[in-house]
Amino acid sequence: MHGHLTYDEFLASISGFLCSYYLAVAVMNGLFAVYQWKVNGNQRLAVVWSVVGLVCVIMGGIVSSGDAGMISYVSVPDSIKNMIDAAMMPVTYSLGTLAILFALFITREYWVKPNMAWLGLNLMLIFMGLSIADVDFAAIVMKPDNVPIVGLIFLLAFFTWLATYKAVENDRRIAQGELPLEAIDNEKVLVWPDLVYTELICMVGLTAFLLLWAIVLQAPLEEPASSVKTPNPSKAPWYFLGLQEMLVYYDPWMAGVMLPNMVVAGLMAIPYIDFNKKGNGYYTINERKFAYLTFQFGFLVLWITLIVMGTFLRGPNWNFFGFYETWDAHKVQAMNNVDLSQLFWVDLLHQPLPRPDPADPFLIKTLIIFKREVIGILGLIGYFAILPPLLAMKEKRLFQPLYRRMGLIRYMVMANLFLWMATLPIKMLARWTMDMKYFISIPEYFINF
Amino acid sequence: MADQDPSIKDILAQARSADGGAGATPAADDTRDAVESAETGELPAAEKSAAPVGGEKVNPSSMSVADMLAVARGESAATGSEDNSPEESGEADETIAANTGEAPVAKVDRSSMSVADMLASAQDDGAAPAPKEKSPAKAKTVPKATPAVAAEADTPVGPRETASVLAAARTGTQRGPRSFGEAVEADETPAKPAKPKLEVPPAPRKSDFLPQKQEKADVVAPDRRGFFAMTTKVFLGTPLAVAFTSMGLTSLLWTLGFTRFMFPNVLTEPPTKFKVGFPAGYSPGQVEAKYKAQFGVWVIRWEYEGESQIYALKSVCTHLGCTPNWLEGEQKFKCPCHGSGFYKNGMHFEGPAPRPLERYAIRVADDGQLEVDKSRKFMEEVGQWTDPNSYVSV
Repeated sequence: MHGHLTYDEFLASISGFLCSYYLAVAVMNGLFAVYQWKVNGNQRLAVVWSVVGLVCVIMGGIVSSGDAGMISYVSVPDSIKNMIDAAMMPVTYSLGTLAILFALFITREYWVKPNMAWLGLNLMLIFMGLSIADVDFAAIVMKPDNVPIVGLIFLLAFFTWLATYKAVENDRRIAQGELPLEAIDNEKVLVWPDLVYTELICMVGLTAFLLLWAIVLQAPLEEPASSVKTPNPSKAPWYFLGLQEMLVYYDPWMAGVMLPNMVVAGLMAIPYIDFNKKGNGYYTINERKFAYLTFQFGFLVLWITLIVMGTFLRGPNWNFFGFYETWDAHKVQAMNNVDLSQLFWVDLLHQPLPRPDPADPFLIKTLIIFKREVIGILGLIGYFAILPPLLAMKEKRLFQPLYRRMGLIRYMVMANLFLWMATLPIKMLARWTMDMKYFISIPEYFINF
Repeated sequence: MADQDPSIKDILAQARSADGGAGATPAADDTRDAVESAETGELPAAEKSAAPVGGEKVNPSSMSVADMLAVARGESAATGSEDNSPEESGEADETIAANTGEAPVAKVDRSSMSVADMLASAQDDGAAPAPKEKSPAKAKTVPKATPAVAAEADTPVGPRETASVLAAARTGTQRGPRSFGEAVEADETPAKPAKPKLEVPPAPRKSDFLPQKQEKADVVAPDRRGFFAMTTKVFLGTPLAVAFTSMGLTSLLWTLGFTRFMFPNVLTEPPTKFKVGFPAGYSPGQVEAKYKAQFGVWVIRWEYEGESQIYALKSVCTHLGCTPNWLEGEQKFKCPCHGSGFYKNGMHFEGPAPRPLERYAIRVADDGQLEVDKSRKFMEEVGQWTDPNSYVSV
């Protein structure tokens, strides 16, 4: 986006925006300091947040100079950028995200406190500000297509915090034998006027916001469509980027038809699977840990982080790029993928891959293909049919109580849905670490898994 | 009567006599029976739906609406006259008659009547002199009130429920009805009462203001104006017919127009067969990408299984149909959508593509130029690349 600009021109173009950005963060912190002082009466915290606001004002001042030497003080140092780029691979990104989310889950009682959450927000905003001084980062983050995703990250962080905050509070109350907050404050609210008025106000506000957005940000239009020319990189709408990322690891039938339908069917099956009567009408985590963790894994890890990855980290030829890496269309990534059958027959048994002759009758061809893919097929059967009972055995602590409560059929449905969900990260890891293409590869009949 | 296995009607009749005489003496265990019997599913309706009223109100919710209605029907049947009501209710009626001093007037068994029938016969009854309390219309529309009205005509009390009636039936001298559980304990399961005979009530007389059928039959004359007039009448006879006819015609025209649209006068698509130059014009290892923009094909001179060939690869990714790009520096085809990569010979080696690229048919035409035919495809995974139509040897 800024490729044709020199670095100084880029800084000049961005300094105005960045200055107002820092000033906005400063105002936010100032307001929060006032809130802490006047409402909470906590003068020490008020002083802390005022100082943070002051620092933001100074950073805004430095940025407004537009001078490269000055701005280098308020941007991420090159050494750290290079380190982050070198470490940024699909595996580190995915496992890192998972680890961070899990750490946040474990320490939720600490970071849901308003001041800790405010600190997190400040860190996110300042990280953004420091990084935008980088050409490549700015090119990705400030692209009109991608602005909603930046908004999504912050909105999602806010709502996740809000829900966790309420859940932690309720869990504390329940542990002390009190009723959850929602059970106490269950005043009846009328559709008219309470709900309809709120909806009207939201509607007007959202329309105004969309108008403003449409005026300020250019529509991301591209050249006329052509059936023989695909833009590079070719990205799905942001809400389908998780799906597009899934397609990198699976056959279209699997990732485009089967898995999305499994997601929908699984969500519809939840009321029939869920035996836990608790958590109905109030926020809680401790009372439904399995459901909470499973959902958050499926939503935050398998959907949102994939959207973020597809938006910011997937460049030309769908190669993986770090935050501060230039999108080079000729970046070479070694991705010599092999099928499981190839690994088994050629690499392990040192035999040629069984290959059906086109002249063979159908049955013989099928049998030869079956022989070729026998490891993958047996593995699949074992995964879906034998693994759930194994998980429900006595030694395994997690699934056995579920099996006791649910009975065979419901347990098998639940376990299979769970395992279906797990196929995606398993396949991703296998692809990244072992260059695994397909566990079962039957291109003759368009069946690949 | 009371010592035999009591039917519903008997029980009710006893209850009424007891009520009219000594008054209710509800027993505590009777209410328990009532609840019990409400839970068991094989009891006569009246006993099943028993719920106490008298002094103790226990679990009225155990009585479903259907049960209540059944009770009400039983009551109204019990108030029927001797000649039409079922046998077992005959004695009950006598008891009632003895107690209340009023002769039942209903002509038909109302337990088997629909609401409409009831209303119709109510009109008839209304014409005949009958006690107001016994009006079957009232019995049907206010079923709860009926027992009280029937039992104590002179001193009407609030709605009475069968349970209290049952409770009252159990006096010191009379054993009274038993619940199912009791009957099982005493090893004498109560015999199911015979079903009340279903009798078809006489057809309700038609009101004067309703149109008479015979007159109508006289008015409608058979149409004898022939096929054409008949068709016109069917398709254009009423405004609705006109509307449907025009809609059908419009749809027909649309369908025809759409069918015609499928066969355009001029096809602007590129021809499926086209010339791509002389074989000598291709140097070894060359990937000619200039035909991709128009025809969606790469013409390549390279080796396949040790043989030097010229072949035409279809520029569509076998994963999801995007158009890969030829990267000269990396010597590979690379798809921008999901990162599938293909070697120069079309074999897939990276990304999710499950199959090699497809070949089009290619041959040397009469003028010595290469001619690609896009109407035929050759897929490697089913061994079609050995087909001599899929390449030109050089």
